[in-house]
Amino acid sequence: MDEPALIRNAQRGDLDAFNTLVLTYQGMLYNTALRILGDEDLAADASQESFISAFRALNSYRGGSFRAWLLRTVTNACYDELRRKRRRPTTPLEPETEDGDEVETPRWLTDPNASPEEQLDQVELEHAIQHCLENLPTDFRAVVVLADIQGLDYTEVAAVINKPLGTVKSRLARARLRLRECLQSFRELLPAAFRLEEERGL
Amino acid sequence: MTTPSFRDVEQLSASLDGQLSQAEKTRLEARIQLDPALAAMLADLSQARTILHRTPKRPLPRNFTLTHKMAGVKPPVPRIIAAFSWASAAAMLLFVFTLGANLFGRLSFGAAAPMMAAAPNVMGGGIGGGPGDAASTQAPLTSEYAILSSPTPGAQMNLAPHPTLAPDARTLPFETRQTKYTGPVNLWYITWLFLAILFLGAAILIRWYSILAFHRKSSPK
Repeated sequence: MDEPALIRNAQRGDLDAFNTLVLTYQGMLYNTALRILGDEDLAADASQESFISAFRALNSYRGGSFRAWLLRTVTNACYDELRRKRRRPTTPLEPETEDGDEVETPRWLTDPNASPEEQLDQVELEHAIQHCLENLPTDFRAVVVLADIQGLDYTEVAAVINKPLGTVKSRLARARLRLRECLQSFRELLPAAFRLEEERGL
Repeated sequence: MTTPSFRDVEQLSASLDGQLSQAEKTRLEARIQLDPALAAMLADLSQARTILHRTPKRPLPRNFTLTHKMAGVKPPVPRIIAAFSWASAAAMLLFVFTLGANLFGRLSFGAAAPMMAAAPNVMGGGIGGGPGDAASTQAPLTSEYAILSSPTPGAQMNLAPHPTLAPDARTLPFETRQTKYTGPVNLWYITWLFLAILFLGAAILIRWYSILAFHRKSSPK
């Protein structure tokens, strides 16, 4: 895939070229939105919205990391959604058992191809991570999702959140510190394979 | 063993991502060797980072590719549309012009008829000579009927058309004149109207097909 050529064609209004870029980055954008918002439907809406606004604002892209540029649109869409959510708080609908009790662990969201044990491991890990992420301030959450979950380097994160490198470094350190404390409280819940592995050494 | 400061935590965090210079890295490594609290903090931060790296990726609920409607892209207008539109407009203009000319012709001829009706009387006096002059002064000028019913034989003779003159269209009854004038005009404005409708219909059909093709192409795959 010749990304610069696709971007140029998309800038000239070629929707097929832009859709090729969408297919490449939609997984990353959706998962970023999902980790920031913690809601599948809102994440899907934010992703769709960000692709639409990206297409309309494509001429404002002046080179650099296209991935970072797209992630910036989705991060902004997530911030907007979080602001809206704060203004109009809602009660999330959880799946219920036959007796009408809420299912605490959303097993219905798991990958159906994984074995039951793997599904359980994944669900518990995801649940713990999402809980800890949602306890972080929005700005810290975005940085940690971009750097530690999506694997962006500091420069790209700085481009996405439009802040200097020093801010990225500081926010990431604070976020990791808080996550460390939060994840330690989930230690017993985490599957053995994910229990705070030893990664000592620089 | 001291509790690491935030500055230390920041350094440790950055070291995990390879964001320290060689000098900073060497200094930090030396401190970690001496301070178990720093080593423990580094281990915790690293473990938290590892867990985050392993966050499962959720499958997409759907594709986020854009349709033309989402992107606000309008269907392109085929070039031929412009030709048909202009042709339709021209035909309509000619239709209106022809229709107007026809109506104007009817009105102008219709209005002129009573005035012209007096002409034979005036001419009658001139052409026939003799008592026509008296008739022209005595008979009412505006009434053709009065002249035709005049008891004076000379007056009747004077009304007969002169054999050397070509038949004057103005002396023909109005209905006859109208039939002779409007025949070709009717044909023209029917033609222009038909062409205008034909071109407009063609333009609409082409546009409709182009929109259909556009939406078929842009529907989600």
